[in-house]
Amino acid sequence: MSKKDEFYVGYLDEVGTSTRKRLKRFVVAVLLLVLVGAGIFAFSQRPFKNSTFELTQETEIEGIYHESPYPMLKVNLVDKQFKNVILLGFGKSNADPYLQDIKAMAGDIMNKKLKVKGNLIYYNGKTLIQILKPENVTIVSDDVIPLLPVKTVGVDIFEGEVIDPKCYFGVMKPGQGKIHRSCAVRCISGGIPPVLATTDDNAISEYFLLTDLEGKPINEAILPFVGKNLRVNGVVEKMEDWYLLKIDTKGIVYTHKTNVYAANNSCQSDCASLHFREAFARSH
Amino acid sequence: MGLDYQWVLWNKHKKTYDKVIVFSMLLYILVFVGVTLVFKPETSIETLVIRAFGSLAIIMLHVILIIGPLSRLDSRFMPLLYNRRHLGVSMFIAAFIHGGFSLFQFHALGDVNPVYSVFTSNMDYNSLTNFPFQVLGFLALLIFFAMAATSHDFYLKNLSTKTWKRLHMLVYLAYALVIMHVFLGAFQQDSYVATALLLAVGFLVVALLHIVTGIKEVRKTKATKALLEDGWLQVCQVSEIEEDRAKIFTVEKERVAIFKYNGKLSAIHNVCKHQGGPLGEGKIIDGCITCPWHGYQYLPHNGQSPPPFTEKIAAYRLKLVGSQVYINPVALAEGTEVTPIPCNHE
Ligand code: HEM
Ligand code: FES
Repeated sequence: MSKKDEFYVGYLDEVGTSTRKRLKRFVVAVLLLVLVGAGIFAFSQRPFKNSTFELTQETEIEGIYHESPYPMLKVNLVDKQFKNVILLGFGKSNADPYLQDIKAMAGDIMNKKLKVKGNLIYYNGKTLIQILKPENVTIVSDDVIPLLPVKTVGVDIFEGEVIDPKCYFGVMKPGQGKIHRSCAVRCISGGIPPVLATTDDNAISEYFLLTDLEGKPINEAILPFVGKNLRVNGVVEKMEDWYLLKIDTKGIVYTHKTNVYAANNSCQSDCASLHFREAFARSH
Repeated sequence: MGLDYQWVLWNKHKKTYDKVIVFSMLLYILVFVGVTLVFKPETSIETLVIRAFGSLAIIMLHVILIIGPLSRLDSRFMPLLYNRRHLGVSMFIAAFIHGGFSLFQFHALGDVNPVYSVFTSNMDYNSLTNFPFQVLGFLALLIFFAMAATSHDFYLKNLSTKTWKRLHMLVYLAYALVIMHVFLGAFQQDSYVATALLLAVGFLVVALLHIVTGIKEVRKTKATKALLEDGWLQVCQVSEIEEDRAKIFTVEKERVAIFKYNGKLSAIHNVCKHQGGPLGEGKIIDGCITCPWHGYQYLPHNGQSPPPFTEKIAAYRLKLVGSQVYINPVALAEGTEVTPIPCNHE
């Protein structure tokens, strides 16, 4: 067959030489595209955080249960050092369904010592635990241990993003920003405490559990603001290793800061934003 | 074309084609996973799956979209078109894995149905930067599903070629949706210039190839000239048509292919009953007009597929004055016998 006359019919076996050559070249081009495409797409991903979700490993922790206003366990680390571990349920839900049994059995569990088994989630000094079964929550002692001291720090303005701590501190990468917004909305709508993640100019992050002005959960009202860059003002309180921020959603302003990628900095306890340092200084 | 429908009428070419598809897809996933594990080892397995398959699907979509114009510009690409449906179904599978994982990861296990969540978790429909990009991906996936599900010839027959064709033209809408999905979604947060550039170049290539093909197509189709008595239209000289091939003309807004074979001329409607392939770009093989796309065959003198097949195409009457060919613009009923006109000039 002459080059011009080559005519391919799929169900016949013969393929002209020129056609065959052209097809081979096309396949080579496709393979090149595959290599280059995969390389570019894979390489062009932003760095991921070194956050951890122990999906397949269960850990038992013991501590004092409190709701401030979100369910937490105050765990004694070393003498007089405490960590408040946020309690979470399965999927995009809070711990409430898993605490019902023990509440029904033991009555008021507020400020009592509990033992909880679950999967740890941790990053940047913050820890959370996912509870999968009501049986994994047991009461250790009926003694009521006095309430936590909550210190008022002052009033201040912060810039950052409202995230759901379950994904942000470990389950998802990225657990923030536009890609993750829908998921964060689902999580917070499902009862997971909303957290304001701030990052200062030195890429140092601080986190604030958000509540309304009365210190009550704010899950519903915060939903439209989740996953966006915001300027938020409110009353800062400190409860051991967590800050609380009491806010009125009416005062929230959108900002256009693009840098929400908290890189792999690990800042332990008290390194707050610059704003925050000032506020801290003022209040003391 | 077959009377019984089988899942796939396998033949040597389809097998080779599918091997290349599977190999390329595996290679893509391997390279993506490899590069990620080396350079971004802190990723999570779900993100790895979502991104590997999402980016694979969009690259495959580009390949699918350039095959059409390429094979019209150069018939040696035609074999790529022959089994393109397998490429389409494979692309749908990749997109489905991406969409399915995303749907599960970001929307499931919450307080509402995941599909409801796709549409309602982000209500910023009036903002570009905040737009709920997942909705765009979801709609595109629905289109790909409809196309993949109806890609079999069984549906082609039962939906009628026209409806089927319209459905499959939605691929361009889906392409637009996917591009927006990526630029309003992932690229708002997580992109480097390189990926954006890759997709921009991809878009330009697809668009340019379509434009060039469109222009060529228009040029290739000859307008018919002056009227002869009784409405006959002057088309061309006998010598302008190659042996066993055709020339395409627009007659009363329809395209008609005039074939020359064995010293005879015949004219039939240019549109293949299968998927609307351009018969005039086909060839006479074993005495039958053979469609360039998938090889459906028609007898030139009556537009009927040889038994046991039953497809019928409209035929046209021709007339020769000297070496000048004329056509009667009235399409005859599909499958009407028309005596071929002899043209023994060369
Ligand atoms: C149910 C439908 C879909 C959903 C819920 C969905 C969701 C998502 C999400 C959440 C991302 C961001 C992921 C990340 O970067 O971590 C994304 C990115 C992307 N999607 Fe989709 N998508 C859907 C359908 C599609 C379809 C049909 C295609 C194309 C054929 C597609 C192509 C892409 C591409 C190329 C990206 C950017 C690269 C990547 O991150 O994977 N998506 N999609
Ligand atoms: S379009 Fe498929 S054979 Fe003609």
